Amino acid sequence: MEYFINGVGIISPQKTFDNDVFLNDISVYPNNVLRCITPDFKNFINPIQLRRLSRMLRIGLTASKICLTDANIDRPTGIITATGYGFLEETEKFLTELLERREKQLTPTYFMQGTYNALAGLVALSMKCTGYNNTFVSKGFAFENALQDAMLQLADDPGGNFLVGAFDEAASVQYKTGMRDKYYKSEWVQNLDLFESKTIGTLQGEGAAFFNIATYPSPRTWCQLTDLKMVYSPTDAKELSEELKSFLTVNNITPNAVDVWINGVSGDIERDYLLTNIENSVLQKTPQLRHKHLSGEYCTAVSFALWLGASILKKQFIPDVVKVPTLAFPQVLETVLIINQYMSKNYSFLLLKRH
Amino acid sequence: MSQRVFITGFGLISSIGRNKEENLQSLLHRRCGFGDLDILDTIHHKTLPSCEIKLNDHELCEAAGVSQGKGFTRTTLLGLIALNEAIRSANLSLSEVQQAGLLSSTTTGGIREFEQYFYNLLDIKQTGEFEQFTDTANPGEHVERMADHLGIKKYIGTISTACSSSANAIMQGTQLIKSNKLDCVICGGTEALSKFTLNGFNSLMIIDPKHCRPFDISRNGLNLGEGAAYLVLESETIVNQKKKKPIAEVKGYGNANDAFHQTASSPEGTGALHAMKGALSLGGITPENVDYINAHGTATENNDLSEGIGIQRLFGENVPDFSSTKPYTGHTLAAAGSIEAAYCLLALQHQTIWPSLNFNNQMPELNISPVKELKHKVLKNVLSNSFGFGGNTSSLLFGLV
Repeated sequence: MEYFINGVGIISPQKTFDNDVFLNDISVYPNNVLRCITPDFKNFINPIQLRRLSRMLRIGLTASKICLTDANIDRPTGIITATGYGFLEETEKFLTELLERREKQLTPTYFMQGTYNALAGLVALSMKCTGYNNTFVSKGFAFENALQDAMLQLADDPGGNFLVGAFDEAASVQYKTGMRDKYYKSEWVQNLDLFESKTIGTLQGEGAAFFNIATYPSPRTWCQLTDLKMVYSPTDAKELSEELKSFLTVNNITPNAVDVWINGVSGDIERDYLLTNIENSVLQKTPQLRHKHLSGEYCTAVSFALWLGASILKKQFIPDVVKVPTLAFPQVLETVLIINQYMSKNYSFLLLKRH
Repeated sequence: MSQRVFITGFGLISSIGRNKEENLQSLLHRRCGFGDLDILDTIHHKTLPSCEIKLNDHELCEAAGVSQGKGFTRTTLLGLIALNEAIRSANLSLSEVQQAGLLSSTTTGGIREFEQYFYNLLDIKQTGEFEQFTDTANPGEHVERMADHLGIKKYIGTISTACSSSANAIMQGTQLIKSNKLDCVICGGTEALSKFTLNGFNSLMIIDPKHCRPFDISRNGLNLGEGAAYLVLESETIVNQKKKKPIAEVKGYGNANDAFHQTASSPEGTGALHAMKGALSLGGITPENVDYINAHGTATENNDLSEGIGIQRLFGENVPDFSSTKPYTGHTLAAAGSIEAAYCLLALQHQTIWPSLNFNNQMPELNISPVKELKHKVLKNVLSNSFGFGGNTSSLLFGLV
């Protein structure tokens, strides 16, 4: 069975909400937290609803609506969302009230809006979509699980089309606790210099991205999603490169036949180790792109990579800001391989083809 | 070719028992887990009685076989206890476990520990024992910890669709096998009581301080509970190869959304109807061949009305026997779908319908009522409903092979 990405909507720390522009106006950040550049929500959400929604619900709902418009459909067959930490800002607000007020006189708004499936429910409600609805919260595999889920649902319902979305917010709670594991850099690094930093830790990012996926192409098709694989906690570089080779073999493609690969390094000198190894071995001769200096790192950052890969295949153009210029880039782009890592524990491969 | 999917083992822990056998005995003898909260540190320990597992975290560590384990939250420990029993029950070898997929679900991950050490964790200058719980606000953390403990690497995932979570984990596991992605998946959910959840549901004003009364006119909300359950699913090919005798088959599943309200179900039972219909149609089973429904039946005014109407719309004049086991275990949220799936398997194994406790007076909006007493009858196909916030509705169809 073949899968096509027939619509995209993404809000990220770069100006990506307009599908007609492609990384031509790059945001530079004065600290280690990269937050979303948002459109005017009033163009997407009615004012009464807008007032009631948290920032991330606004971002997520808007991204889903951009995607639906891009796909030129009224309503998907089903909705699948993915998040690592969910609405941690709302969870923190409820928790803080609970602790400060010693479990008395609490209002439910933050509790309700902190539920992981709040966005999937909200999108279903706004589109009156009574079909399939699911939410994955599997840390660095959440979005991959959601894509896999869409493929499973399409196997049962080949005529359907699914809205698959990822969201994660740059929550301060996560930043503070993440510092304990040296997950973020202790010194300031300007985002465009991320890969020159050579220190431990990364930059905190966030974003919401929705994709419309079906078994058939449409006039709007961005690319084909050929296959995906997750590799959990590989013990060493050999294990990861063997998994990669077998993934490519299963898909009848050699490393050199991949036109471009998107490297999920996060600028963390320790946690990028296995991907650096891949870069110097299996994919030594394949030109690469990077994106975490633009998106920052978050559990579902691979969704930004998917948007990037889909965009270069559709637009047949690669912005300089994502290029690693050591190798020459092909003129025609047919195949993109994404390799992501989160916390050097969750690794995944996504293979995209031009339509 | 798509595979049939069989259940070859299961395990569970709840406030009415630490394993399958204890749960069975409690179901048979109407023993409930409802009472004051002794383990959870909350001001509501007497005012909002719940269905608590009367084991402290140290005792849970022992029961889970991780007496030296650090960083294991109550959610993870309950999960491990049920997982271990499920693995034993399906006779999986170590290498079979390691080749299996693991799908779990939770509504709040390790929030119980996170709320306990919240101020310590957020003050980077503080160090101490609490640091083992640094990442417990993450809902996927418990699955990685369980997977690491058991050596599972092949496929892991975490689902969170509020109170229908583990039904969706079972559905996903079924589909992964059906489509030949995996041969064996262990799937279910785990949920520990926390101040966060207790106060969250209390702020929504849907907790009944008295023992809950599903489908009764006087119903006034749910009781919360804690627990975990996992099912071992294996493909037809593997079951035949190993000459295993499956407990039951996952014959169908349905997942839909009510698309009505963020935290309330539609009065027409739209989502419930779609989910149950989906499960029956995939299973190729007509409504009259359903022998029992384990209802979601939370005893909130809204759920029981919506679910009851949904059942009536699907089954018309011939509604099968149905009951809610929530008065036994409380509402165990993300674990409810898998705990109730386990109760459906026990029902099939013992050809017995578990009674709906505390039902006395008919709801005027419905013309159906739940089974009040233990009932022995021929059961071939049973349906298990799980519904949640966000409009999520799921239904699973289990049948004897």
